[in-house]
Amino acid sequence: MPFESKIEAGHTIVSIDETRLDASLSEPVRAYLFDQIDNGSDNLIIDLSQVRFMDSSGLGALVAALKKMGGTGSMKLAGAQPAVTDLFSLTSMDKLFAILPTVTEAIEEK
Amino acid sequence: MTDEKGQVVRLEIDSELANTTLIAMAVRGLCAMTTLSPVEVNRVELCVVEIVNNAIEHAYGNEKGHKVEVGVSLLKACLMLTISDWGKSMDQGKLGSRDISVDPDDPAAWLCSGRGLPIVQSLMDNVKYQTVGDKNSFIMSKQIRN
Repeated sequence: MPFESKIEAGHTIVSIDETRLDASLSEPVRAYLFDQIDNGSDNLIIDLSQVRFMDSSGLGALVAALKKMGGTGSMKLAGAQPAVTDLFSLTSMDKLFAILPTVTEAIEEK
Repeated sequence: MTDEKGQVVRLEIDSELANTTLIAMAVRGLCAMTTLSPVEVNRVELCVVEIVNNAIEHAYGNEKGHKVEVGVSLLKACLMLTISDWGKSMDQGKLGSRDISVDPDDPAAWLCSGRGLPIVQSLMDNVKYQTVGDKNSFIMSKQIRN
């Protein structure tokens, strides 16, 4: 599976080890994030540093996970590449997600 | 849109989401022949992926074994892309809304899908959808600086 997670400083860091988070991968990503949330992870950081392209389906998977958290805990994005940040800006999703340059900064951000 | 013929290439994939990447990479390569900026190339790629995905998911209901054709026309003043399928036609009314605004304070209204067409309409200079016989075509173009 192209995802892995680890616990660091009280955060669950989920790494997406794929260059494209598109419609062919969005459902596995959504299911993986839902599992993390169901298993009690309430401070999620999604490491997107390997993702060079994201479409609206990939974005939808992240939004679904954020909605599932229901306002408890936090979900931050880290390492988003230019095409990905552009998508978040175009869709105003940068209003919903905290997007930090690196995982370290996402951990340190209050 | 223009009547100028320019250079044209036609690409074809089977209706499987994993194949969309093939079209995306080919279109990126063709965009490299133009004066489009890196940001614009990324956006054209995004638009092509969204419309090809729509054809696979909605025209063919995610069923493999059907043809999706992408025509790329490099014209003097614009890049024109025509994505065609032979499945269920799209409701033309879906081309009406470009609204992808979001209210951070209203989680119930956060959409998990349905952003593809508004994104395409906001990024491309012209879009139109037509059905001729059993062939549905989404035609979109982006102006190119000379």
